Amino acid sequence: MNRNIFALQRIARRTFSSSGRRLENHVPQKQKRFQENDGMPIHLKGGVSDSLLYRATMGITVLGGAYVVYELVKWGCPKKA
Amino acid sequence: MAHQAHAYHMVDPSPWPLTGAIAALLMTSGLAVWFHQHSMILMAIGTVLMLLTMYQWWRDIVREGTFQGHHTPPVQKGLRYGMILFITSEVFFFLGFFWAFYHASLAPTPELGGCWPPTGIFTLDPLEVPLLNTAVLLASGVTVTWAHHSMMGGDRKQAIQSLTMTIVLGFYFTVLQAMEYVDAPFTIGDGVYGATFFVATGFHGLHVMIGSIFLAVCLLRQIKHHFTSGHHFGFEAAAWYWHFVDVVWLFLYVSIYWWGS
Repeated sequence: MNRNIFALQRIARRTFSSSGRRLENHVPQKQKRFQENDGMPIHLKGGVSDSLLYRATMGITVLGGAYVVYELVKWGCPKKA
Repeated sequence: MAHQAHAYHMVDPSPWPLTGAIAALLMTSGLAVWFHQHSMILMAIGTVLMLLTMYQWWRDIVREGTFQGHHTPPVQKGLRYGMILFITSEVFFFLGFFWAFYHASLAPTPELGGCWPPTGIFTLDPLEVPLLNTAVLLASGVTVTWAHHSMMGGDRKQAIQSLTMTIVLGFYFTVLQAMEYVDAPFTIGDGVYGATFFVATGFHGLHVMIGSIFLAVCLLRQIKHHFTSGHHFGFEAAAWYWHFVDVVWLFLYVSIYWWGS
């Protein structure tokens, strides 16, 4: 009876679907990837998606910063009525 | 490749402090533009930039600690000091609002009717939803402690279950409090009672939401095997923050809901 229960447990734990892969421990692979000596700073070390996100963020920073300076200069120098 | 002769972490140059500072500038000036020119665009851009900064900065910290091993014991000690100091600053933040509440309620002015609660204010019954909220947060303090002990004991499944329960309880508190806000017989504009009530409980509610998000990120990291039984400071920091949120609520409940009713 116990042998059957153990066999059932073993089968239940086997997962062939992608949801099983998601529950696996991928930390060792990540550790290997992020410890590669490629000279990249941490915020770009993850690959292309890092660069895209960085560029989008910096783009908003520069454009937004310029817009705020423009607004502040406009507010600081009101036109005479 | 050069190796360091010390256990400390010399971080790579990072753009996130700059983008975060510009985000703060955009959010605050955006607030002023919203007040005076009725446009929310600048504030929205600032908020988006703040969210992008937070995501990428904290993602990098996870990479540095969990994937690169930079969080040695001395580094972790520094992170602990940092979190303790941050929570202490938040205590002082709330202290101000409690000061305002006690200043107004201990010596109520003639304009209020010389009494507290002021004349015309119908307070919420402290033994109804506010008491339930107290029970919910206290229970969440138990479940987060359960999660910690599970984590320390290497019990992955129980850690995930109890951490999930903690987040569900936090969400339940937020929903209950939102319903209270909608049904309250007074508003933030109802004199000093309304102002102190909604500003103090409002900032608390915001901290519950922030704490819930912090715990949810920890849940995701626990599922992804980031934490070990001996090293899980991100979770500990979230648990400390959560206990702080719980304690603030206890003070709010006793002071504003109970004594102040």
